Amino acid sequence: MTVNRRTLLAGVTALGGTSLLPGIAHAKGSVVATTYPGTWEDAYRTVIAPMLKKKDDIDLELAPLFAMDQIGKAKAARGAPPFDVFVLDPGPRIVGIEAGLFDKFDGKKLSNFSKLPAGFTDEYGVQVSAQVVGIAYNPKKVPAPKGWGDLLKDPWVSRLGITGFQTTFGTSALIELSKLFGGSLTNVDPALVELKKVLPKIAAVGLPAAMPGLFQQGQCDVMYTNTQTVATLKGKGIDVEFVKPESGAVAFYTTMHIAKGTGELANSYKYLDVVVSKDAQGALTKPPYNFIPVNKDVELPPELPMKSLDEMTKYVQLDWSKINPLRASWIEKFNKEMAK
Amino acid sequence: MSVASDLIDRPREEGRLRLAEWQLALPLSLAFAALFLAPLLLLGATSFFNDEKITQPGFASWTKFFGDPFNYKVILDTLLLGLKTVCATVVIGYPVALVYIDLPARLQKVLIFIIVMPMLLSVVVRTFAWIVVLGREGVVNQLLLWLGVISEPLRLLQTELGLVISLTQIEMPLMLLPLISVMSRLDPNLRDASAALGASRWRTLFTVIVPLSMPGLVAGCLLVFASSTTAFISQTVIGGVRLIYLPLVIWQQSLVVYNWPLAAVASLSLVVSVLSVIAALSYLGRRSSRHLHG
Amino acid sequence: MQALAPTPQQVAPAGRTLDVDNLTVRYGSAVAVDGVSLAIEPGEVVALLGPSGCGKTTLLRVIAGFVRQAGGRVLVDGAGIDHLPANQRNVGIVFQNYALFPHMTVAENVAHGLRARGQRGAAVGQRVERMLAMVQLGAFRERLPRQLSGGQQQRVALARALAVEPSILLLDEPFAALDRNLRLDMQIEVKRLQRQLGLTTILVTHDQDEAMSVADRIAVMNKGKVEQFDTPVAIYDRPQTLFVNGFIGTTNLLPGKVMAVMSDTATVALQAGATLRLPAPQGIAAGSSVILSVRPEQLVLSPVATAESWPIEPGLSLPLGPQLVLEARATCGTALKIVEPRRRIPTEVQRRFCALAPDARPSLFPRSTPSATE
Repeated sequence: MTVNRRTLLAGVTALGGTSLLPGIAHAKGSVVATTYPGTWEDAYRTVIAPMLKKKDDIDLELAPLFAMDQIGKAKAARGAPPFDVFVLDPGPRIVGIEAGLFDKFDGKKLSNFSKLPAGFTDEYGVQVSAQVVGIAYNPKKVPAPKGWGDLLKDPWVSRLGITGFQTTFGTSALIELSKLFGGSLTNVDPALVELKKVLPKIAAVGLPAAMPGLFQQGQCDVMYTNTQTVATLKGKGIDVEFVKPESGAVAFYTTMHIAKGTGELANSYKYLDVVVSKDAQGALTKPPYNFIPVNKDVELPPELPMKSLDEMTKYVQLDWSKINPLRASWIEKFNKEMAK
Repeated sequence: MSVASDLIDRPREEGRLRLAEWQLALPLSLAFAALFLAPLLLLGATSFFNDEKITQPGFASWTKFFGDPFNYKVILDTLLLGLKTVCATVVIGYPVALVYIDLPARLQKVLIFIIVMPMLLSVVVRTFAWIVVLGREGVVNQLLLWLGVISEPLRLLQTELGLVISLTQIEMPLMLLPLISVMSRLDPNLRDASAALGASRWRTLFTVIVPLSMPGLVAGCLLVFASSTTAFISQTVIGGVRLIYLPLVIWQQSLVVYNWPLAAVASLSLVVSVLSVIAALSYLGRRSSRHLHG
Repeated sequence: MQALAPTPQQVAPAGRTLDVDNLTVRYGSAVAVDGVSLAIEPGEVVALLGPSGCGKTTLLRVIAGFVRQAGGRVLVDGAGIDHLPANQRNVGIVFQNYALFPHMTVAENVAHGLRARGQRGAAVGQRVERMLAMVQLGAFRERLPRQLSGGQQQRVALARALAVEPSILLLDEPFAALDRNLRLDMQIEVKRLQRQLGLTTILVTHDQDEAMSVADRIAVMNKGKVEQFDTPVAIYDRPQTLFVNGFIGTTNLLPGKVMAVMSDTATVALQAGATLRLPAPQGIAAGSSVILSVRPEQLVLSPVATAESWPIEPGLSLPLGPQLVLEARATCGTALKIVEPRRRIPTEVQRRFCALAPDARPSLFPRSTPSATE
């Protein structure tokens, strides 16, 4: 297989409407990494790329893609990955593991290995940040909701924007909502039943990618989302606050993985080493990025929803290996229940 | 005098040119075969697998998709969305084309620029602009509230009405360009001749101008229909996901749950159903413009 | 010519008078028609003749109601029709390109005006048949316009215009697209139908031969104005302006000076070197500069000098049918064309001097008149 990986990437990203060609030709060493569109892309372009260039003279090419799209494109590429490093949430991570998309990972190759809490690396990849799923609301329009159940009540329900099971935060929130009404990790039907009861009142049902825009335009004033999105909206000067539901916010780790079949194995490790380094993690915790750091040497600033990573245990963590097999059917159910 | 448009059909008399034309079309045909036909065949092949990992051949994806009545509703809704958009673009676009042919050349250029300008913007930008216009705090609601027409903001986003309104604007150039290209080739004397014979404006419109502009009208309808039924971004961003059309199903199956065989079935359903409507439309168009092409 | 059974429609109706009164049309700041007045008699064929852009087609379009005038009136049988839209004027028009409806058969084209007037059923069919018989196209009723020759298309256009029994017939360069032989046939045919129906008709043309052969009277137009409105013979023989003189036929223009005016005879000294006594038009005074216009066939050659002849330098001679056209140059530099009957081929010696023929009707124009075209 001699398909030029970078040509392929250029094609793939051109299809996605993004351009990251500048700089490829003169790269002494380079690594192609995915990043989430929005805050992640800004942060990695501004903070990580210059650090990597300075430290190892490696050019970082960023491909902004949602987790699901990364998996889809990697699967479609069949053994010739269009990028070297993935960034994923727990759900897509498991899909990637099952599809055998990741190179076997050895955390000890990172010089910062000792700075990471135990268990933050495994044979598939490394945890690079934590995210918290909770409720975002516009304090100028509605009072602060207390828990997931408030979403279905006035005044919040008529200003509520919801999404389905396409994303980690959407799935997490719907599972938590379901639990309030007798559901469980593997039974989201109660949530769908309750949502359907108030469906005519709900302000918006959208794709995950459309939600920040709808919130910004005032189409909805309450939504379940993650801390990252809240930070992004705040950065744009939008009135938004984050609430940890009383039954507990869901937390999950964002992980990075090296693609199987990459030609830039060494550079990929160097990239990951910079990502988890104290300097990088420290810079990323600052506004407007507000990442939750994983490096033990980095102190958590007061803006973040948790004081230390030890608090992660107090957050709800979901077992995605149980969720993933059910998601296809949940997505279909959501379609049918919510369809007009 | 030939008012005939060659948008739909070409006169068949030019036999002498056939060979050369055929050769000229060869590169494009090959590109088409490689870039369009081959993926379509691949799509067809993918649909005949039972499982997501594409290992067991079979018809299970087809029986699953068509065994679910919900999907029939999705197909029907998709085609209806196309038809509604086509109707709206015709109702609004046809008078614009009529105005166009009466304008002096300088203003025609201005109008063409206004018509084409939206095409210079990405469909994503146009779509998000419509969120700003139709949103709860958007331009339309602000205006109506200010005028006192309404006391509560209207829900326009995430409704089929709002979606059709946006698609009408987004797809309008596809209706207007073929329509104007055919109508501006109409002999202006035809309208004068009809008037001198005693025909009112409406009679002239329906007995002379509409039949003669049929090739452009049909071409515009085909383009708008094909484009609006497949407008994934506009459908999902403006319509939300409560309005479920085939492109959303295809996206979910291919990029969210990675069930490619099912995504292939949904894609082929979209291709076949849209093409059938297009075939029916162009058949009607050809019949009505039979006199022009013979 | 085939005899037609007389029917109520074919008994020649009393033609209408058509009056154009001080009509002015502006396009923006440009004046297309500038104060034109014409009084057209019932059943008369009037040709509007002029170069392109002279306003003749605009005038026609105002009469048809397609263009609004800035001032002036159009009257049919003494009643103004300016307030009527085109579809209520009952004016038949045949366009240069015929403007047949390409998607309708010949019969549908002819029936269009009848249907527009609310006629339905068998009456329409009968009328269409009669009109097609009149233009001898009965066998073509189901054809589409593009399946017809140019002449046939024109006859369909004529049948379509006449089917609604218009009070006025307007022909906008109707023969321009036909080849020479067919043109003559169609001119005869149109004239026949017009006579038969007694229709007041206006023909717009830039072809002077066509105007001469078809029209009862010709309005020669230039720059939005009517220069002369008269019979073809009068236009040819007694052009009122240098423009008409130059536009109709060929002419020689000789500059000169008025030496004296006595009663209505002027004595003119030509720069070419002759002194002539000519009928003086109004506004000519002794001492004014003038131009003498003489048709080529009104000049004769002579071997000897007289007071009323002038010397020339002969150039090429071209035999043209029964005539011989001789090019020559006067001593003042003016180029001349002289036409003589072929049987009297002049010898070199006979070509020394040029003079007016005894029956010549030369025209004298003051020099200040806007110069002729060509």
